[in-house]
Amino acid sequence: MSTAPSIAQPRNSSVLAPSGEVTKQPSSPSGPRKPARAKLRPYQISLLSVVSGLLMWQFLSDVVIANPLFLASPLEVVRAVITLAETGELWRHVGASALEFALGYSIAALLGIGIGLLIATNDFAKNWLQPWISGFYATPTIALGPLFILWLGIGVWSKVVVVVLLVVFAVIINTEAGIRSTSERYLEMMRSFGATPRQLFVKVSLPSAAPFILAGLKLGIGRGLIGVVVAELFGSRLGLGRMIGASADSFNMPELFAAVSILAASGIAMNSGFSYLEKRLVPWTKD
Amino acid sequence: MSSVVSEHLCKRFGDLEVLQDINLTIQDGEFVALVGPSGCGKTTFLRTVAGLESADEGGIFLNGKRVSGPDRDRGFVFQNDSLLPWRNVFDNTVVGLELAGRMSPDERARVTRLLELVGLAGFEKYFPRQLSGGMRQRVNLARALAIDPKVLLMDEPFSALDAQTREIMQTELQRVWEEGRKTVLFVTHQIDEAVFLADRVLVFARRPGRLLEDIKIDLPRPRTMMTKRQPEFVALVDRIWRLIEKDVRESVLVEHV
Ligand SMILES: Nc1ncnc2c1ncn2[C@@H]1O[C@H](COP(=O)(O)OP(=O)(O)OP(=O)(O)O)[C@@H](O)[C@H]1O
Ligand SMILES: [Mg+2]
Repeated sequence: MSTAPSIAQPRNSSVLAPSGEVTKQPSSPSGPRKPARAKLRPYQISLLSVVSGLLMWQFLSDVVIANPLFLASPLEVVRAVITLAETGELWRHVGASALEFALGYSIAALLGIGIGLLIATNDFAKNWLQPWISGFYATPTIALGPLFILWLGIGVWSKVVVVVLLVVFAVIINTEAGIRSTSERYLEMMRSFGATPRQLFVKVSLPSAAPFILAGLKLGIGRGLIGVVVAELFGSRLGLGRMIGASADSFNMPELFAAVSILAASGIAMNSGFSYLEKRLVPWTKD
Repeated sequence: MSSVVSEHLCKRFGDLEVLQDINLTIQDGEFVALVGPSGCGKTTFLRTVAGLESADEGGIFLNGKRVSGPDRDRGFVFQNDSLLPWRNVFDNTVVGLELAGRMSPDERARVTRLLELVGLAGFEKYFPRQLSGGMRQRVNLARALAIDPKVLLMDEPFSALDAQTREIMQTELQRVWEEGRKTVLFVTHQIDEAVFLADRVLVFARRPGRLLEDIKIDLPRPRTMMTKRQPEFVALVDRIWRLIEKDVRESVLVEHV
């Protein structure tokens, strides 16, 4: 039989291979070739949306709510960012928050994946830990922020604990769900080839849980950012949350919005980083 | 030397007697097809030979040794291809060798030739989602052949394919089998497929599942599309169909109640 990989075809189109088999062709990187009519690419649409949002914001703050005590315009925010960056103040705040986030998020990721794998494979651990996990996941643990400041002081670690608490359960729950949803078909197939339980775990359960684990980690980004800011609002010397609190107290709208915009931008950046990772690491889930 | 022996094999799922006293012997290098109405225990029988189910009474013997679990002397070709979506064609094909820790350059070269044999040369780097149903079943077959098993167990491997692809795959399977002459146990619903491929067709009956008839197929090889039009072929298909017709009707009715 002489089927050979043939030239790139539009995604999901079917061609009749020489054997007479209907062959689904892999998508070409250039995507479908559509007839002339200009069509916006997905990222162009998103970009357009952001730009029009910014314009709207500028319009609102210039014309509709022309009160600098309530709202700062995007241009004022940019100016504030530049000024703060020049004085170096911005970097100290960003640095503090970034450190808290990075520490909390990494600990939560490692802990979450570890505990998730444990409870997915060990029924005793599952039954032992499940009530705590369900309880903590459903509780707004962020409200415990003041308690941690009391215990750990207003430094980095009280924030780290809040981030860990907010992120870890999402990761645990997703990791466990991923391992447990491993298709019995694959396990059975591997068993028929004489796979040991260990091989089943490493070669089937882990890869098929990977998309879930990544989704849990992605979910954790937003939760972690919230944790950092709110924990800092409860009490801190430095950080974007602290910056937001202080500028709100002094009605410094440009600085407040500057901090919020930086948070939003880092959230978006990390999320798209994850989407990229997902495409690279678990391409089979996207079709 | 005999290859696969089933001795007084009985299998129950709870109160349901799925296999009742199955006695048969499959010779080394023989191609045997199993047909029978839905629910008569064909899959269960095949899984028991594979070691994925255990016998309640009697047992399966492979070259005189009792089967107690899955091993790499038997290769299973699944009805749903069960290809791992995160592995490309080559990595899916070598999975059995990998589990056995047998991944030498020699073996890799052999697998490359095997993929050629099943008509997948050039597709090594493709992922399952990029393949058609027929190609996926070729990988499924190559994966089972890669461990170089003594016995090949195939459970309706072509049932998910369209009619034309199916015919092609039948001829292809025959060609691949001629190259290696492994012992094959092939379950199918399609009687003409069974007659076309097999040296012997085992007809199962249901409630309880048991061996009804053992029919020798003496058509000369290699068989071609023309074989299916010969009167001998048609007569064999007819004979087998009449054996299971009543059972099939019943099973269809039962399943629709
Ligand atoms: N794991 C199981 N637990 C309980 N009953 C089962 C199990 N596997 C199969 N059965 C029952 O055993 C009987 C035989 O099933 P089996 O799958 O072997 O039939 P089959 O001949 O392969 O049918 P088909 O042609 O539809 O694939 C059926 O009635 C089925 O419901
Ligand atoms: Mg079956």
